[in-house]
Amino acid sequence: MRHCFLLFLILLGHLYIQAAVPTYKLSGNVADRSGESIPYATITIGNGKVPVMSDAEGVFELKLPAGDYKGVATATGYKPATFEVKLTQDRSIKIVLDEDAVALKGVSVYGKSTAKRLEDGAFSVNAVEISPNLNKMVTLNDIVDRTAGVKVRREGGAGSDFDLTINGMSGNSIRYFIDGVPLESKGSGLTLDNVPLNMVERVELYKGVVPSYLSSDALGGAVNIVTKKKRQNYLDVSYGIGSFSTHTGEISGQYYIPGTSVAIRPTFSVNYSKNDYKMKGVEVWSEEEDKYIFTDKRRFHDDYRSLFGQIEAGVTDVKWADQFFVGFSYNKLDKDIQTGAMQNKVYGEASRNSHSYNVSARYSKRWDKISTRMNLSHTWDHSETVDTAFRKYSWDGTWMPSSGNELNNKSRTIRVYKRPLTIVNAGVDYELNEHHTFALNYMLNRRGNDRHDEIDQYFEPSNDVVTKHIVSATYSQSFFNQRWQTSYFIKDYINTLSIKQSDDITITGSDKIDAESTKSYWGAGVGSRYIFCDPVAVKASYEHSVRLPLSRELLGNGTTVYPNLTLSPETSNNYNAGVFGTWFFGEGMHQLSYEVNGFIRHVQNYIRATVSEREGMMQYVNEPAIDVKGFDFELSYFWRNRFQVSVNGSWSDARDLKKYKSDGNPSATYKNRVPNRPWMFGNVEASYTFRNLLDKTDVLRLGAAYQYIHWYYLNWEAFGAASTKAKIPTQNITDVSLTYSWHSDRYNVSLECNNIFDRLAYDNYMLQKPGRSFAAKFRLFIN
Amino acid sequence: MRKVKFLLSSFMALFLAFGMTSCSDDDEPNVPEDPSIIQDYHFDLWVALDRHGGMGRDVKTLVRSVNSLEADQPEITFQGVGTEVNSRLSLETILKGAYYYQVPVSGDRFAKYKITNNQIEVIKERRFQTNTFATRKYTHAWIDDKTLLIMAANGDATKIIWTKLNADDMTIISEGTLGLTMPEGAEIYTTSGILTYRKSDNKLFYFYYAKKGGARGKRVTPMMTAVIDPSTMNVESATPCFLDCEMVGTAYGELLQTTTIIDDNNNLYIACVTDDADGTEHSHLLKIPAGQTTFDKNYDGFKVDGKLISVMYVGGNKAVGYARDDQYGTGIDSFSHYYALLDLNAATSSPIKYNGERLAYSSGRFSSRMAYVNHKAYIGVDAEGKKPQIYIYDVQTGQTSLGATMASGYYFEQIRVVEDVK
Repeated sequence: MRHCFLLFLILLGHLYIQAAVPTYKLSGNVADRSGESIPYATITIGNGKVPVMSDAEGVFELKLPAGDYKGVATATGYKPATFEVKLTQDRSIKIVLDEDAVALKGVSVYGKSTAKRLEDGAFSVNAVEISPNLNKMVTLNDIVDRTAGVKVRREGGAGSDFDLTINGMSGNSIRYFIDGVPLESKGSGLTLDNVPLNMVERVELYKGVVPSYLSSDALGGAVNIVTKKKRQNYLDVSYGIGSFSTHTGEISGQYYIPGTSVAIRPTFSVNYSKNDYKMKGVEVWSEEEDKYIFTDKRRFHDDYRSLFGQIEAGVTDVKWADQFFVGFSYNKLDKDIQTGAMQNKVYGEASRNSHSYNVSARYSKRWDKISTRMNLSHTWDHSETVDTAFRKYSWDGTWMPSSGNELNNKSRTIRVYKRPLTIVNAGVDYELNEHHTFALNYMLNRRGNDRHDEIDQYFEPSNDVVTKHIVSATYSQSFFNQRWQTSYFIKDYINTLSIKQSDDITITGSDKIDAESTKSYWGAGVGSRYIFCDPVAVKASYEHSVRLPLSRELLGNGTTVYPNLTLSPETSNNYNAGVFGTWFFGEGMHQLSYEVNGFIRHVQNYIRATVSEREGMMQYVNEPAIDVKGFDFELSYFWRNRFQVSVNGSWSDARDLKKYKSDGNPSATYKNRVPNRPWMFGNVEASYTFRNLLDKTDVLRLGAAYQYIHWYYLNWEAFGAASTKAKIPTQNITDVSLTYSWHSDRYNVSLECNNIFDRLAYDNYMLQKPGRSFAAKFRLFIN
Repeated sequence: MRKVKFLLSSFMALFLAFGMTSCSDDDEPNVPEDPSIIQDYHFDLWVALDRHGGMGRDVKTLVRSVNSLEADQPEITFQGVGTEVNSRLSLETILKGAYYYQVPVSGDRFAKYKITNNQIEVIKERRFQTNTFATRKYTHAWIDDKTLLIMAANGDATKIIWTKLNADDMTIISEGTLGLTMPEGAEIYTTSGILTYRKSDNKLFYFYYAKKGGARGKRVTPMMTAVIDPSTMNVESATPCFLDCEMVGTAYGELLQTTTIIDDNNNLYIACVTDDADGTEHSHLLKIPAGQTTFDKNYDGFKVDGKLISVMYVGGNKAVGYARDDQYGTGIDSFSHYYALLDLNAATSSPIKYNGERLAYSSGRFSSRMAYVNHKAYIGVDAEGKKPQIYIYDVQTGQTSLGATMASGYYFEQIRVVEDVK
């Protein structure tokens, strides 16, 4: 209540009406005399305005009040170009820069990419451009794992389950989107591990406070994958090969039918990995020694195959729509299951397979001051877990007959889950003037859970439905030539459950809940940023957020995660404050960027994954109160667009604030650090780029990356003798890469070595990740 | 310290004995040594950190060894001491002498462990051969000090499998499937059943029932008693109980708490439960008299309301029972559980009292927060709003005294008497 009142006061303080001057969109393209686009050129318009930067294709866009403007465009290696523009309606211009053959040092480069501008916004966000990583054999998970405040915890190699943590909040507190639509709409098999990289423009990682246009019930943050949308024809083809029989192939493209506004965007990707990396120090039975011995053995049942295909067709920039696309996608994933939640549970036959179909449509249109958008999506998601072998496997690949199946020593099962998903996402923005904007968003997310078993006659089929409605309203303001930007938002979360399953009541708690229920929750937030000057800017944000349990948390995954139908939504008060800036010196040859963010999360009913070592199973449970505080920082230095080094680090401290147990007795874990979560980690990345080696268009980039993750306890740290407590040890991982591109990035080859020192690493207790591995990738880009 | 005390007291006893001998003209009659007395032992306290365990609950379990549970001991805490066991051991375990025996969490072996110096020491492990068992879902019996018999339903619960182990080196002596016939109308057996061995007539008694398939399949038979020849493992008889009842525990044998006892007269008792017409559970303590293989229809050693969770024989044809008073709740964490002294001869029970008042109701249904050694029963009470408390019931005097106190925030799971390794 106190926060709402504060919010109201702030809102009142800013609600003075500005002169109602209409604003228009100014967009354009920066190119050289030959017509080649100039990426990352800086466009400064007016006096004292915050500059904008063109993207990798030389395209820029900004909004300005009606009027006459003078501007200047600059880019490394080109002479500055001035231009004038009269803005009485939306306009698109072309800026041509001449090469500066004399020297580079006279050119001012501000370095504000789209991603950087986003990071300089009111919210705490990492925006990661994908283009520097397109030539590498990496996944989105690998990329975001190297950003400040973010940690991806993997259970194994390619295709393994993972949890993403942002500023100390666990994986499922994070919501995933693709172009603002929940990523799950593409099927449960599509994750950050297998989203085709070459369809992605950038990834936005919102830390803590999530903008309301995402209409999300995220608590710890959100990941929004932004796909390429530039109006250009292109074909992007890549193939990668790596250790452990890993192969990846991706094709994506865009084709505008000549003379029309009709575009076709096909995307296709396939991934395969045998994941037969060596497990170090696993137990196997030795007949000779008549005991279990520790030895190194290769994984033998961890094949991973994924396939994704999508085609979108539609129109852009027509009278009735800025964009209208319909799409169809298919996703298939087959994954062998090698271990349970710990590596001492070894499986040799069980597998999990899924496939899904999705149809979608999206529409957006701007009418003067009103912008509208709508996404419709329906997904048929079908997954099955096959566990029909009465066998007990060992790490040496041998097995003995078992009296029960592999996963839980019960009868044979082929457990089938049909989880249809319907998503409706709609929004409308109204721009009163250049200072005030209003937005209204709505999202429907309906997930079914129709389950049955193909061969276990005693399994009780059921059909559960979880429906979420999220409505949000946002008011944004901008003053002092956009130096001060603030957004206020309010959200209503309505959660409707229809639970039919009632087996395993002692585990799922199905006897403790209403089979049919609807509950409503409120949230609100504010984010503000002020730029004093380029080197110094501050931002702060607050949100009272609600996170409704995911279907995976509530209903399990059919294999390693038990349902917990009694889960309550998490609520949290999230506070963020940060200072950031960019400093150019040495006549533009040096650029230094920094960002430091502090955060506090007061979480109620924190949803945490617990591992039952005994069962080898996981289940999500509520922790009544958790307090998380911490900070992260990032420091980057660039020299002449050649040398780049960046350092980031994160520290967080999550404490259990549950003073009393539900039975009224004191809790022993009160104020203890929450176990089984990384709390201190950091990354260092450096690269050097050589240009014009063999011809004027080639680029050689050498890179290295180091990751440190401090060790942490599996269980509560205060209890038990420290010398024998279960720990997840410190990880020191170093990767190196070499990328060579020629013919203006048309042809690209990369060579990589990950975990070059072959360090033992695991994010989850006793679930080893791959050791040293090698990869090579070839990419062809035609536009 | 215990050893020092013991040596001192032994020396004193020796001194007095010599002294008395030298002063006596007549030989004193030989006092027979009490074979039940254990000289060197300690207690292993198994506690839960989050909440009580049982029914597949995932709780973090810690084990700490203490030499005494007397009231003069400092408050017991697990801050920085004790052994985390979850990643290797299950709470459901067999204890004999100085060693724990179990199918550990890896679920692929039989194993023998010792917990010392805050760590688990592997004594011997043996990979499964033919029959495989699930962690925590089996029953057991000791045929003699070295022969451990493990038994459980197989994965789809259509057969009962068994494995006989040499407890010294955990070698598999023999394995097989029990020769039971699935009763008509039934589809599966109970997960583990209850197995016990009676030395006096060299018989194994296996208590089980059969039911319809599925997690909620209805019971088709009452509790059945299979009498088995331990040398051949042949089933000699399988008879239904005269009461329409089932055992109080069906899924994990006696790994958490004992539900069968054999008294000084070789009568065998088992705690069972019936579903009464009003929907409430009602427990009975049934008896198979010595030399017989069927229940005495005229005997019921537990006639009060509620469920008898566990029984522990304390000599003299008496037992300490842990029971639930349903009027105060039936949940695992309900403060509705109490301790009672059962007189097996008289077939009566009475709550155990301290200072004239019955002990506070405790929470925790599964597992056994009581242990017996040297004529004393050590019982743990997790009472509402109070620190976990040990009480000591002296069987010989019938008096209850206050024992050690545990710090708040922990829950008694097991109190185990572990012999020191000589």
